[in-house]
Amino acid sequence: MPQKTAAREIDARATTEINRRIKELMAAGEKEIRVLNVQAQHNLAVGIIQAVSVLFEGSVGYYCGGLIDGPTIEVHGSAGWGLGESMLSGTLRVRGNAGNSCGAAIRGGTIVVHGNVAARAGVGMKGGLLIVEGDCGYMTGFMMQRGIVIVCGDGGAGLADSMYEGVIYVGGKIRDLGNDAIVLEPNSDDRKLLRENLSRWGISAERSFKKVVAGRKLWNFDKQEIGLWREAL
Amino acid sequence: MCGIIGYLDKSGNVDTPIGDILYRMLSTLSCRGPDSAGVALFGKSHKPKLVLRIKLGERGSLEKKAKVVTEELRRLFPIHESQVYSEYLRAVVGPVEEPGNAPNLARQVESVAEGLELVSAGTRLEIVKQVGSPENLERSYRIRSFRGTHGLGHTRLSTESRVDLSHSQPFWARGLADLATVHNGHITNYHRLRRQYEQRGFRFYTENDSEIIGLYLRDQISRGLSFEEALQASVDDFDGSFCYLAATANQLAYVKDSFALKPLNVAETDQFVAIATEEVALRATLPGHFEVSEPDVRQFHLWSVATHAMEAA
Repeated sequence: MPQKTAAREIDARATTEINRRIKELMAAGEKEIRVLNVQAQHNLAVGIIQAVSVLFEGSVGYYCGGLIDGPTIEVHGSAGWGLGESMLSGTLRVRGNAGNSCGAAIRGGTIVVHGNVAARAGVGMKGGLLIVEGDCGYMTGFMMQRGIVIVCGDGGAGLADSMYEGVIYVGGKIRDLGNDAIVLEPNSDDRKLLRENLSRWGISAERSFKKVVAGRKLWNFDKQEIGLWREAL
Repeated sequence: MCGIIGYLDKSGNVDTPIGDILYRMLSTLSCRGPDSAGVALFGKSHKPKLVLRIKLGERGSLEKKAKVVTEELRRLFPIHESQVYSEYLRAVVGPVEEPGNAPNLARQVESVAEGLELVSAGTRLEIVKQVGSPENLERSYRIRSFRGTHGLGHTRLSTESRVDLSHSQPFWARGLADLATVHNGHITNYHRLRRQYEQRGFRFYTENDSEIIGLYLRDQISRGLSFEEALQASVDDFDGSFCYLAATANQLAYVKDSFALKPLNVAETDQFVAIATEEVALRATLPGHFEVSEPDVRQFHLWSVATHAMEAA
């Protein structure tokens, strides 16, 4: 006899069908939903504002979990572009890799990617936490305004380019820094933050993390520093 | 927005149902490019003979023209097979001296009648493309039955140039047998590069910026660069946001631009390498567990088919 699980299951191919079934189950008061045989369809579980748990058994395509406010979404596979874009709160966890612009413009919540992320992860972040267990790609944290990015592996080229505020921790090597990014040694508060946030996801914080923040030289225009601007633009 | 795909069987089995795999991958990406669809297929080797795929015209009954062209071609070299498939004449010709290098071949073939275009030439390469969907491509050319080791595919959303067979992809690197490319994005310094090539006597057949990739690679290789070195050089020499795939008789490669602005997903197992603009093309087509990742900025990678397959073929 097959093992009975608490989660309600969805096994459908079309994006609209999967999303419609998720909505129906949420309306019926279901708290745990499992979507089977996902084949990297786009726009799954976008705009969910209920405290529901959705598990995708397979990879998801573009914009999974975008604009969410509250749910817990887990992906047993990889994710395409724009994972969790503009999310407000909730949790998005991806067991595999994530594509470009992971966590773009998020305002809150937590995104955990156990694999690697491609270019521009955390671009324009306005809050929230993005954890990457692997490496990150080109221009991670580009124009970040607030929030925390933790990259346990190596940092890609142009890291933290033109950041306003926020912080990026990198556990491995940094290929090169973006414009106006500076590297600081983490203090005891940083180390505590790293330990607490990583242990929750079963990730070791035993690495020599570096802390990258904005040098704040691009905050205000000063014509004495025109060279800096030429370089940045 | 276009869809590009590539697949390579690592064991080099020439009996891999490459046509079916590419067709299924391409079908999932037809929404990215409704204008045209095409594939570059690498089947069993005809070396030292060459397979020519000649565009006879854009439409209408071309049987009569095919007969005339075939007779004219017979004056140039022995013809072993010749069939007409819709707008194409397919002919196996030769032997050709130095089949890997055929700079004058296109000129020779195209001069035998009005309006001809040599779409591909190679010991293994065959390009089939046309306006419309992958389903139409299958109906016209039965690409699913094709067997080989590797191949490329493309669905096109035209943004800057005409929609017809010639402007469709893949492109053959005209003049260099067995080299084909598919491209998603824009080569923004295309006009400047094109002027430079035209001054050196290169002929362009289309207004499509993608055409220049194959010509560039062919030119770099003729200057003594290896295929891999030519791919690497292109990252600096091409401006814009793009991803492209290139394939030769025994290799498959991808190249990413300096901005990482175009999507590309790569899956590699012990059996195969599969590349697609969207992961959905890989998941819907290929069975079993495999990991998918997106290459970083300026990355390129080259895989080879097992060489024993080339010798056996």
